[in-house]
This record gives sequence, C-alpha cells and structure tokens, in this order.
Amino acid sequence: MNDLTELDEPIEIAQTMRDEIRRVSNATRARRLMVSRVMTTLCAVTLAVTAVPLALLLYQLIKRGAPELTWTFFTKVPETPSLIAPNATGGLSNAILGSIALNVYASILAIPIGVLVGVYLAESMNKFAATLRVIAQTMAGAPSILMGLFAFSFLLQDLHIGFSAIAGSFALAVLMLPVIIIATEIAVLNVPNTLREAGLALGAKPHKVSMRVVIPSALTGIVTGCILAISRAIGETAPVLLVIGGGYLNTWKPLSPVSALPLSIYENAKSEWPSQRAQVWGAALLLVIFVFILSLTARIWASRKQKVSN
Amino acid sequence: MAEFSSATTSRSWYHYLLLTACVLFGAVSVGFVGSIIQKSLPTWLHHSTTLIGGGGWQSPSGPFGGLAMIVGTLETSLIALVIAVVIGLGTAISIVFFIPRRLRNIVATFVELLAAVPSIVYGLWGFLVLAPFMYSTIDPWLNSWPFAREIWGDPSQQYGPSLFLAAIVLGVMILPTFVAISREVISVVPDDLIEASLSLGATRWQVIRKVVLPTARIGLFGATFLALARATGETVAVALIAGGVAKVQWHMLNPGTSIASWIATEFGEAQGNEVSALMALGVLLMLLSFSLSLVSRWLVSRQRKLLARV
Repeated sequence: MNDLTELDEPIEIAQTMRDEIRRVSNATRARRLMVSRVMTTLCAVTLAVTAVPLALLLYQLIKRGAPELTWTFFTKVPETPSLIAPNATGGLSNAILGSIALNVYASILAIPIGVLVGVYLAESMNKFAATLRVIAQTMAGAPSILMGLFAFSFLLQDLHIGFSAIAGSFALAVLMLPVIIIATEIAVLNVPNTLREAGLALGAKPHKVSMRVVIPSALTGIVTGCILAISRAIGETAPVLLVIGGGYLNTWKPLSPVSALPLSIYENAKSEWPSQRAQVWGAALLLVIFVFILSLTARIWASRKQKVSN
Repeated sequence: MAEFSSATTSRSWYHYLLLTACVLFGAVSVGFVGSIIQKSLPTWLHHSTTLIGGGGWQSPSGPFGGLAMIVGTLETSLIALVIAVVIGLGTAISIVFFIPRRLRNIVATFVELLAAVPSIVYGLWGFLVLAPFMYSTIDPWLNSWPFAREIWGDPSQQYGPSLFLAAIVLGVMILPTFVAISREVISVVPDDLIEASLSLGATRWQVIRKVVLPTARIGLFGATFLALARATGETVAVALIAGGVAKVQWHMLNPGTSIASWIATEFGEAQGNEVSALMALGVLLMLLSFSLSLVSRWLVSRQRKLLARV
C-alpha cells in the first residue's frame, strides 16, 4: 500500500486498486457463487422444514377438531363414558364458561394496575421506575407454573381461600401484568413529544396532559397490549392447573371451583376412552380459534392506528 | 423526557393513583418471589443436598431428589433451542429475502399467529399423534443405528413418550416465536447496507453472512433467549410427552421429566414435605429463569456498547 500512495497520479492508484479488486473478485467468483447457492438452498430447505410440522399440526387440529364442535359440546356438561355408553362424553360447557370467567376476572385484576404502572414507567425517570421496569421484564419471562405456585402458597395456604376461580384468575393476572405494563410503556413512549408540549403550552397541568392527551393518543397501543395479554392467558394451563380445582358444574362464581378449556384438554388427553380423547381435539380447536381471533383483532387495531397516525 | 415527567412531579391525586398501582405491583412481585421461597424453606434447611442429588423421588415420604428434573430440563430445552435456532434462522432469512414480496406479509402474520398457539395444543399433538408414530415407526429405525443402545437407550424401556420427543415438540413450539422475532430484526436491517455490499460484488450469501446477521445480532440474541426461556419453563406439553419418570436420563429415547412438568404432575397428590420440596424445585426454576434474563440483558447491553463504539 505504501508504494502505491507514493505514486504521483491519483487516477493511476484508483486504476491499480480497481484492477486488483476485479482480479480477486473474478478469481473467487465461481467459489463464492457456489457457496451462496448452496447456503440459500439450505435456507429454503429450513423454510420447508418449518412449514411441514406446523402445517401438519394445523391440518390435524382442524380435521379432528371440527367434527367435535357440536351443539352438545357447547351446551352440556361432561359425562364419564361407560361400557354401556362408550361415546357418552357430554360437552365441555363448564370448561368454556370457566375459561371465560377466569379471564374476565383476571383482566379486571390486571388491566387497571398494569396500565397505571406502564404510564408511570413511561413518564418517570427515577430509580424506582427503573427497578420496576427490570422487575416487569424479568417477570415477563418467568415460567407460568410459578404463577400457579404463587397463587397456591399465597391464596390457598396462607389465606385459606380454597380451590376457586378467583385463585386461578389471580395467577393469570400475575402472568398478564408484565405484558400489559411493557406494552403500555411502549405505547406511551411512542406518543410524540410535540403533543405533550402543545398541551403544556396551552397551560394545562402536567397530570391533565397525561390524562387527556397522552393516554388517549396511546390508547390503541394499550388496548392491543391488553388483548395480547388475554390471548396469552386464555391458553395457559400451568398457572390454573394447581388452583382452580376443576368442577363439572356450569358456574362462574369467583369462589367456586371451575374448569377451563386448557385444563380439560390436559386431563382428557390421558383418558382411556377414545371418545374423550377425540373430544379433546374439539377443545383444542376452539382454544386456537379464540387465540387467533384475539391476536388478529390486536393486529387490526395496531395497523388501524398506524394508518391514522400516518 | 425529564422535563415531561409530569405525573410524578405534580403532587395531584393522579400522581398518587399511579404510585399506588406501582406499589401494588412491587408488592405482588415481592410476594411472588417471597412466598415461594418461604414455602420451600423447610426443604432448603433440612434436605438441600437431597434436593439437588440424584436419589430419585419417592412420594409421599421422600427422599425428594431433583437432579433428574434439572438434567431433564437442561437436556430438553437445549436440544429444542438448537433445533429452533438452526431451522428458525434459515426460515427467517428465507422469509425476508427469498419469498415474493406479496406473500411475505401473509407468511409473517401466519408465523406470528402460530407463535400464539397455546402450548397445550402442541403437547396434545405430540401426545396423541407424534408419540404413537415415534413408537411404531421412528424408534425402531433409530434403534437400528450403530451404538443405538448407548445413544438412545434400552428399547424395552421405550414406549413413545421420551425426552427426545419432548425436545422435538418443544423445538417445534418455540420455532414460531424465534422466527417471528428474528424475521422482524432481520427485516429492519437498512437497505443501504445491503445494496452497498451488493454493489461491491458480494454474493447474496456474503451479504447475509457479513452484513445482515452481524447488524441484526442484538435482536437475534434476544430472540434466542426468549425461545430458551419458553422452552425451560414449558410445563404441560412436557408433562404429556416426556414420560414422567424421575430418573437421571442420558439415553434420549427413554422417558424422563423436567422441573416444571414434575411440579405440575406431582402437585395434585402432594402433602406436607413433598409440597415444600416441589416449591423448592420451583425456586430452582425461578433461579434458572431469572439468571437467563440477567445474562440476556447483560449480553444485549454489552453489544449495544460495542456497536456504539464503532
């Protein structure tokens, strides 16, 4: 390189370097192209490897689940099959009602607190907020069975509440809290500062700006986060497994034992009756439909917001 | 942001409302960690060596040895992670660079929906579809390999559910999560960088290898840790398909168990000391999950600093 820079003609340097690059490039082109082709083909192969099991899963879910979703499935409580009536499985109305009740109570517990904490985190820069942020991020990754253990040790052992819907909702609420907090914080941080400045310049008190300007502008993001939290909670088995008791009755009372869709899938998958094992596919399909509807709603909300802000 | 820390500087009822929510959330998280630890104290004080030893799990009287679950958790989640990262990275690259633009959004949405499918559905599929298929078709073929007994274990102990099957299903389960996040981080790599290196004569693979992946690596780290956290904490899917045998298992086709799934399956009938021992397993799981999130936070911040220096 040194003797190159000592040349008088800069054009000549460029010429030499370009020739050198061309030479190396041409000499290695065949090899580089082959490596590139092999690797891109491998990438395409992994795409197929990903698609096959997931497509199979969805196909079997629909093929086996759809015939199970009958009127009885939605309206009757479960029965235990017997040798005389091996196909008498009844329905899963108790689990559907239980799942809805669990998630409604959990949302009532988690959404107000989660949103308020999220707003606080977005609008403060002190140590307390930083600590809470780390806690929320850590809890968002905590295994869901731990929420079940917490609900069991706190509500059942310490407060003697007993197996109940509210204990399951408590566990689900602990699961949803960090998701809602993080989503709310991001939504509030995304509100443009000009909006805040405009509010403050008009003489509004800071908390009025936060309540009347910032939160309404962040609302779509907050709602999206809440829907995603619910869609995660509705499919969770582990937190409710230890504490809701699992009853055969159609009930939504907070203090009585209830069943839930994921729980009845878990229990009945191990059943010795083929009819009950078949029915489980219906429950799984229904659960997946619930989750898909919730996630799609959240997506549509989020994209609508983008259109509005553009 | 400091000048807008509106809600926290003005001492209004709004400020106290936010603060109350934060204190509540803080209390919940302290209670979450504290109550599980408190309930596990008897085990830690009197049987801590038994708990992390390989003495097996004899309910209801003890000893309660957790080594089998610890080893099972590590084996299943690490194999699952390798499957998910190798296949998922290729898939994410293909989605971003090789799929026609029109299909891209549809495929991306679809992957995100699959990431939201509840884990119990994957568990059900593994238990009712894959396990019988493994037993009838795959297992005999694997057992015909050289050194099959050393790798896969004694065929007479195999009956379908196994650690290997659990690892595969976990891999398929965390695959959409990993693909969804890594697709997003890969697709935000600036086009200028890609076009610049293409114009210098780099092949497609060289661009991906030398430009795209290094630029996206912080996000890819994040995706990897999230996938690993999901795999280690997975409860009901593993409870259905790992076999539920509390024995340290190095032969992958033999049944085993994991920490989370063992808590789920044993908790129902547990009394007294066993509850405490299961809570202690929960503390181990919590430690594992918290240290994973610590390491990922550290890695991400270190990478950010390195990038900032460049």
